[in-house]
Amino acid sequence: MNDLLFSQLSTLVAASVLLFGILLVWRRSLLAYIKVFQWQSTMLTILFAIVAYFGNDPKLYWIGVLLFFLKVIFIPRLLQRFLVQIDVEREVAPYINTATSLVLTGVMVLLAQAMTNPLIRLITLPTRNGLPFAVALIFIGLFVIITRKKAFTQVLGFLVMENGIAMLAVLGTFGIPLIVELGVFLDLLMGFLVMQVFVYQIQGTFESIDVSKLNQLRY
Amino acid sequence: MMQTLFLLTICAYSLGALGAILGGRGQLGRSLVGALAAIGATAGLLLGLTVIFTGQSFTAFVPALLPVGGGLALRLDPLGAFFLSVIGVVAIPASLYGIAYNEIYESERGSLRLLGAMFNLFLLAMSLVTLADNVFTFLLMWEGMSLTSYFLVITESDEAETIRAGNWYIAVTHVGVAFLVAAFLMLTGNASGAFSDLRVHASNLSPLARDLVFLLTLLGFGSKAGIIPLHVWLPRAHPAAPSYVSALMSGVMIKLGIYGLLRVALDFLGGGPAWWGVLVLVVGSVSAVLGVLYALMEHDLKRLLAYHSVENIGIILMGIGAGLLFHSYGSMSLAVLGLVGGLYHTLNHASFKGLLFLGAGSVLHATGTRNMEEMGGLMKRMPWTALFFLIGAAAISALPPLNGFVSEWLVFQALLKGLNIPGIEAAIAMPLAVGMLALTSGLAAACFVKAFGITFLAMPRSHEAESARESPLLMRIGMGMLAAICVVLGPGAIAVIPLLSRILVGLGGLAEVPVSLTEGVSLQVPTSSSQIALPTLALALLLAIGSIPVILKLLRVNFRLRRSESWGCGLTELTPRMEYTATAFAEPLRRVFAELYRPSKELTIDTHPESKYFVQSIAYRSEITPWFDRMLYTPLLHLIGYIANKIRRLQSGLVHLYLLYLALALMGLIFASRWIER
Repeated sequence: MNDLLFSQLSTLVAASVLLFGILLVWRRSLLAYIKVFQWQSTMLTILFAIVAYFGNDPKLYWIGVLLFFLKVIFIPRLLQRFLVQIDVEREVAPYINTATSLVLTGVMVLLAQAMTNPLIRLITLPTRNGLPFAVALIFIGLFVIITRKKAFTQVLGFLVMENGIAMLAVLGTFGIPLIVELGVFLDLLMGFLVMQVFVYQIQGTFESIDVSKLNQLRY
Repeated sequence: MMQTLFLLTICAYSLGALGAILGGRGQLGRSLVGALAAIGATAGLLLGLTVIFTGQSFTAFVPALLPVGGGLALRLDPLGAFFLSVIGVVAIPASLYGIAYNEIYESERGSLRLLGAMFNLFLLAMSLVTLADNVFTFLLMWEGMSLTSYFLVITESDEAETIRAGNWYIAVTHVGVAFLVAAFLMLTGNASGAFSDLRVHASNLSPLARDLVFLLTLLGFGSKAGIIPLHVWLPRAHPAAPSYVSALMSGVMIKLGIYGLLRVALDFLGGGPAWWGVLVLVVGSVSAVLGVLYALMEHDLKRLLAYHSVENIGIILMGIGAGLLFHSYGSMSLAVLGLVGGLYHTLNHASFKGLLFLGAGSVLHATGTRNMEEMGGLMKRMPWTALFFLIGAAAISALPPLNGFVSEWLVFQALLKGLNIPGIEAAIAMPLAVGMLALTSGLAAACFVKAFGITFLAMPRSHEAESARESPLLMRIGMGMLAAICVVLGPGAIAVIPLLSRILVGLGGLAEVPVSLTEGVSLQVPTSSSQIALPTLALALLLAIGSIPVILKLLRVNFRLRRSESWGCGLTELTPRMEYTATAFAEPLRRVFAELYRPSKELTIDTHPESKYFVQSIAYRSEITPWFDRMLYTPLLHLIGYIANKIRRLQSGLVHLYLLYLALALMGLIFASRWIER
């Protein structure tokens, strides 16, 4: 009974995390992206709490709290300030338009399902049904990075991909050791800051954060 | 005792490198860095000699610092010890020489710190190559040796030519390493990388795998040793590097290719079928003859020496090839003879080529040019350098009683004994090789008549040559040491050859060959009728020739010394323009071998506009493009360029496209894994 509840709850929350990922593909406003990321991270925190509660693993609470502060409060705030500085509001003309993107996203979710299917049949974890969502989220993050032109959107794509990885970790293994998790957080933060600096540099050089213009650097 | 020497070697080189980085400038700094290198080399030499004399291997204790591939394992057996000693023999004089030579880098012509550090690290890496006792250590040190020597080559990086030379070097050397890695992977299999396991595993390999390993090894080590056609980096890199570095690279580093070949072919694989020996013999013969032929056409002193390195590697390989061939037929004592010839020539070439490069460096130091056509008359200005260079030139031309003669003699003897074994390969290859070696020796002598004569004799051809000065004391000491070694190793063969034959004991089942000291040295060869008598006769002949002046004196022939002008065919004044040039000296041979050289000629005659009988100027240009450049490397480079241009289209410069590649690769892998699973 308890396991069934655990399974259903975790699958539900994992699905909502994925849903916010798909929202990222749909929306165009950069401000909305930040909101989407914030909500996605919130749902991820809840997922951590669920796994911690049902899986009897108190240290996951701590990771959840850290995650909340980092991804729901700190990084979105940085992103907002970032947005003000680069003074761009919308993602215009991506390589693939919204409708096609959404169809492709659907394909990727199916693909993730197909990919994880053998694994799901093999393991007995109550959380196993959420695994395809995590993999799909990773694909979607990568997809956003590939098809969107603004460097800002790509940073968000990276963050979403990272969320997917974190979700895969918590669903697949009930969280990795705290020290590793801390390392991942630090990595994420550093990566984010470095990317921020890069975006400023790109903007300073090209007076735009349109990454597709980078091929002007080609010899 | 051995542990102390080992530690001293490591510490001295490391301190030298460290000291150079912290400040290797100024008289004191340079001296310190050079002295530490010399101390390290001395300790290495002593360690090598100890192992050779006692015949006991030395295993160094290495703390388990690196967990990969079995970590560092160091062990010095007599074969490695021989090569470690060779390093010491050249490195000590070269380090001392370098102290004075480096003065030209005090101004901003390259980083003295980098030079000093790399020099010490280079010596360290080379020493550890001979000590390596597992695959990981060997390849690590081999790569370290290649990289440090690359940095040494590009010391004068302000010249575009130097950078290009460096590129050639690093490209060839990396291709070589690729072959080596492949060979060692095949050799290792599932065994650990320890050399002792390799010996066991090698005996379980299929014949085809063994052949493949051997070919890969020959190519890999051959690219370092400089066999034709993989020698292309030698004539480019040696002139570019500082002269004492050239001495080390040419004298020692390329010999480590020989070491590797012996280690794998003889020690691990334990010898092989007859065609291995024939192949090495052929490669050696071709390298020797072509090396010396191209050397003859060079007027750049250091390039000339570099081509001679190719030639001498060829001679060494001829000895080793003969050894392998005998080994495959089971004539162990003859095998020892060939291998000893090869090894002895290794040592000798290290000493005289080191000496010659140091001499060339001395000339370069004094005149600022490597072009022989601008030299001349240096004998009067730099008598010591001239003397040492002459000794080196005589040694490399294999004139008795110097060392070059002894080892070439040994190789000759080994090849001539080829008639004693059955087998059609030997019957064809050996006599041909004898002819090739004879041709090589003759041409080498001609080449050094040119090198010495044009550089040191007659009148200076340029202002720089006229104002040349003798090099500083330390440089002369460095050259003097090597010159002394060249002289000593000639008659000293009596003592050295038994030691060399002892080194080979146990490699590929070679037993100790009884060496008895009768007239000179003779190796008792049971299968043949004769003994191999060393140059006693030749020595006697030489003494007889040397005594001619004394006899004339005794006969009271008129010996009054007269000083007067050279006879100038009636002209009142002789100018340097009337001198024989290097080009002219080599012209007859250029004609004889025109089919090989295919020189391009360009003759421009400017005449007076009024009458064509008044010639105003004549310009003559003739260039030789070596055939391997023409036939092999130019097409190869074109092909690589063509493919690279095609591949370049992938590099659109669009970040998104790169990411797409990444994603597609990921997807492809996932599906591939699913597919393989079924």
